[in-house]
Amino acid sequence: MQRLFEELRERLLRVGVAPRHVRRYMAELNDHLADLTVEEERKGLSRKDAEASALARLGELEELAGAMIERRELQAWSRRVPWAVFGLGGLASLSVTYGIACLILWSGWRIFLPGSPTPFVRLEGLAIPYFGMGRLIYYGAPVFVGWALCVIAGRQRVRAVWPMVGIVLACVVGAMAQVRVGAVGSIGLAIAPVSVTYLAGLIVVAALPYLVWRVFAIVTGGVSLKGA
Amino acid sequence: MMGRVSNPSFLNGVPELLVLRLLDEQEMYGYEIVQAIRSRTGEVITAGEGVVYPVLHGLEREGAVRSKRRTVSGRSRVYYSLTPAGMRRLEEMSGAWTRVTNAIQGMLKGDRNAEAI
Repeated sequence: MQRLFEELRERLLRVGVAPRHVRRYMAELNDHLADLTVEEERKGLSRKDAEASALARLGELEELAGAMIERRELQAWSRRVPWAVFGLGGLASLSVTYGIACLILWSGWRIFLPGSPTPFVRLEGLAIPYFGMGRLIYYGAPVFVGWALCVIAGRQRVRAVWPMVGIVLACVVGAMAQVRVGAVGSIGLAIAPVSVTYLAGLIVVAALPYLVWRVFAIVTGGVSLKGA
Repeated sequence: MMGRVSNPSFLNGVPELLVLRLLDEQEMYGYEIVQAIRSRTGEVITAGEGVVYPVLHGLEREGAVRSKRRTVSGRSRVYYSLTPAGMRRLEEMSGAWTRVTNAIQGMLKGDRNAEAI
């Protein structure tokens, strides 16, 4: 019984059914099976026979999977428009993250360093964690975005191509983006040349969770990636 | 006893129609819906009972039904109810289905003036 549900879950995820629909489907099937088992037991069947009969009434794997798969509207966005989710979505998330980092730098400059011609000076007191948070977000942005794409790809059993495109794109843009400070209170991002070594390192760190998951899945055979 | 009807292409749209019709009367959870369909159709229309959920998910996604999780007698269940859009959809589908069945009935009875589909 548990194996049927596990196989069904994997099959649905592999063909791109949205995880939230898969999760709810599994929960509802479990509830339904429990109700059917009680009904069969009331007819006088033993627990084992009641479970077998309930399972037969619930439907076969092919039937249960097919009914969900044929509904295209239940597919995850990452399957319907992977270029948008992993490409544009990654870049949009990166922009938002950089926006937050710049906002922290700009507000910290105004709050803690009024009149200072640059925010890149020796800091004291509360300014240290405040600017530290902004720095962490700024430097970590491509990695955080990459990890988010890894989580989406892993949950939805997406093939490597689109997640890797998204991660590389986010890392290239992330490695090239640099904060520039102009007149007092003026902060912006500019494009600067990038070191290949730094970029390669960034890509490896950003893609690490996905690569680990792929290797783990292949080694254990617990999650088939065939056709994913 | 009549044979079971389970041809998917023939039954295209029928599960939706039956589900909407039942939910028009009262909110129900999946198991209740399936049992109601079984009893009201004399078990003529049957399939794996679990396939009702993709139908419900699809209808919810289209805005025809809404779901709400409730705990009844210690069991947590997802109850489905009809939305105004679902009522309109039911009306349209019922009308279309009635026209089709009338036309087929007429043809089976040899009525040359059967309403066109």
